[in-house]
Amino acid sequence: MPVSPAFGQDDSLRTIQTRGTLVWGADQEGGGPFVFPDGNDPNKLVGFEVELAELIASHIGVTAQFAQGQWDKLPDLLDRGDIDIVLNGFEWNSGRAERYGTSIPYYIYELQLLARKDDESIQSWDDLITQPAGRPRKMSLLGGAAAEDFTAAFAAEHKTTIELALFEGVTDAMRAAELGTDGIDGNVQDLPIWNFYRKDFPNLKPVGPPVGRGFYVALLRKSDRKLLDSVNEAISAGLRDGRLRTIFERYGMWNDVQAMRALETSADGGFRGLVKAEESNNTRTAEGGSETDVTKRPELSSSQSLHGLKVITQRGWFLVKAAMMTVLLSITAMPLAVLIGLLMALMKLYGKWFVSIPATCYVELVRGTPLILQLYVIYFLVPEVLKYLFPGTQFSISAFWSAVAGLAINYSAYEAEIYRAGLQAIPKGQMEAALSLGMTRNLALRRIIIPQATRIVIPPVTNDFIALFKDTAVCSVITVVELSKEYYIQARNTGAIVELGLLSAFLYLAMSYPLSLLAGRLERRLGKESR
Amino acid sequence: MITLNGIVKRYGSQEVLRGVTMSVARGEVCVLLGPSGGGKSTLLRTINGLETFDEGSIDVSGTQLIGGDIVSREVALLKIRRKVGMVFQQFNLFPHRTVLENVIEAPMQVLKQPREQAVGKAKELLARVGMLEKSNARPASLSGGQQQRVAIARTLAMQPEAILFDEPTSALDPNTTAEVISVMQDLAKGGQGMIVVTHGMKFARSVAHTVHILHSGSIIESGPPEQVFDNPHHEITRGFLMETN
Repeated sequence: MPVSPAFGQDDSLRTIQTRGTLVWGADQEGGGPFVFPDGNDPNKLVGFEVELAELIASHIGVTAQFAQGQWDKLPDLLDRGDIDIVLNGFEWNSGRAERYGTSIPYYIYELQLLARKDDESIQSWDDLITQPAGRPRKMSLLGGAAAEDFTAAFAAEHKTTIELALFEGVTDAMRAAELGTDGIDGNVQDLPIWNFYRKDFPNLKPVGPPVGRGFYVALLRKSDRKLLDSVNEAISAGLRDGRLRTIFERYGMWNDVQAMRALETSADGGFRGLVKAEESNNTRTAEGGSETDVTKRPELSSSQSLHGLKVITQRGWFLVKAAMMTVLLSITAMPLAVLIGLLMALMKLYGKWFVSIPATCYVELVRGTPLILQLYVIYFLVPEVLKYLFPGTQFSISAFWSAVAGLAINYSAYEAEIYRAGLQAIPKGQMEAALSLGMTRNLALRRIIIPQATRIVIPPVTNDFIALFKDTAVCSVITVVELSKEYYIQARNTGAIVELGLLSAFLYLAMSYPLSLLAGRLERRLGKESR
Repeated sequence: MITLNGIVKRYGSQEVLRGVTMSVARGEVCVLLGPSGGGKSTLLRTINGLETFDEGSIDVSGTQLIGGDIVSREVALLKIRRKVGMVFQQFNLFPHRTVLENVIEAPMQVLKQPREQAVGKAKELLARVGMLEKSNARPASLSGGQQQRVAIARTLAMQPEAILFDEPTSALDPNTTAEVISVMQDLAKGGQGMIVVTHGMKFARSVAHTVHILHSGSIIESGPPEQVFDNPHHEITRGFLMETN
């Protein structure tokens, strides 16, 4: 249900009360303990934020209505007016506070360093500074979350390099750390998330005490001041009368740190501690736990909003570099896809049943499942299966080659069908003429049939090449940062959605248009030969 | 050189060849005539394995094909196809290759001839069919008669003992038909063995050694052209000849 943002006069609260629902956004993909489908009734959502939303809604006198959005896109949904409030473990930082109305914190979180139980080389944060294998440590992280900022700042402070593998899901990030996928050494995770999921990751251990304390806050539109006031009232009321504590205890999230908030929260629900902390100290310590550590982490880059030409000159290079990754993925994956596709088409058309049936199954299976799933299987499942089949050996497929394999396999199914049509379009007489000249069927295919079919399939294959170009964006789910992902990161970081969006669109066009021109020329040249 | 013995071919329950027996000697020019649907083209195509058959046997210079046998077929066919070439009604030149490339393709790929040898031979053959000056043209730019002459040169490049002509002039207009017929007559006079499915009586009369009349899947009459044409025994032959003339 779209909610139009209020202009001028602030009708935010009245609009919601008239409507009777508070539309709150979260990503249930993020999972527990925040918002997740109930194990007993998957249609029902549970999680501490579900209960928090109900608490806030009932304070306003309305019912809470959930709206699903991809986590990193939730603020965008707020901007679009699709939702009233975001409740999804968004950490307070000055960049967010500048762009959005931020509530008083409803939870104080800390970050937990995680490593594999059998990995003796990581006993504390300081071990991330060392590089025992002669290469930088690699940590899996939820992209755009506080853990990313904290880890990057930690590396900068200690003048070392820590590679960050960014994931879109917290469980993905932990699984990658547990498996050691792509050389990942460990994970930095919000403590409540680790507590909630720890039994699912028996091979991970917490390393050292929690660090990097921060605050989960609700995000609202900046203009909805009255709604923000009501939200703050609701949270502080829940804090005072113990209802929030009850909720947190239910999800195993209550700890002593939460009680500290009483000190930070003034009687009228104002949020004082932060202001103090911001001006007093920015020390970041890997030890954590001390009282001076109740600090927001200074924003590394998202504090200033950048716009216009400035953002292009400052951030444009990131997009260009990411565009190169897009090109690299495409030009590596597409030839493979065409090759596998041709092989499958030949198996389907000319193979005996024990060859043609598997080929048909392959094409249908690959065509019938989404690319994103195939990427997951290759990145997460294949190394696992290989490890199981060959115990004792270390298998790891890098994110890049997983992405190439996923794209190549996915597109090979389509290329197989295109090639099948192309091969079938060659008149029967061509094969007969070749055979009657004494050629074997394989020789006839190689010399006579396939070259002609290739000319026929050039236009549709080029079309698919351009489509693959854009599908590389999906590879961000397995942490490959290409143009689209980089755009999201930079746009969210700076708020320059339009400027960087236009630049990204231009880059995509600049890459795909020459391809169309080339295809047109090839088509004309080859067309002349055969007609 | 080629012996067919009791060839039977069925499509489902319909018999399209009903026990055809005939033989063709080395260098013999043999013409298959008869009404449409009589099985002429099917019979021709069984000889080099483009069609299967259900009963009987085919022997080409000692290599045997047995009806219904598909196991040893592939190997036998490769041998037979090197001895027996074929020219199609629709020419079937390779459109992605030039005229010269069409002719040298099989000698180089199948017989593994070096390129110079294959090209030299190809030019000789293209000259013989009057197509040398079109060596570098693409098939698509040629007329039907020109394409068919190239197709004949392409088949000759494999030096076949016999050539199967499957209605080689049916897709051509009368002018270009004459070019192709004249090339075929030259070949026949030069001692090239061939089996020709055609409607051209003139060609049969001028160069054929033997004429077979095929009707409903059976050979109903065989003999030298003057005997079959001037003194046909069979009722159906007489009817067919009257219709065609």
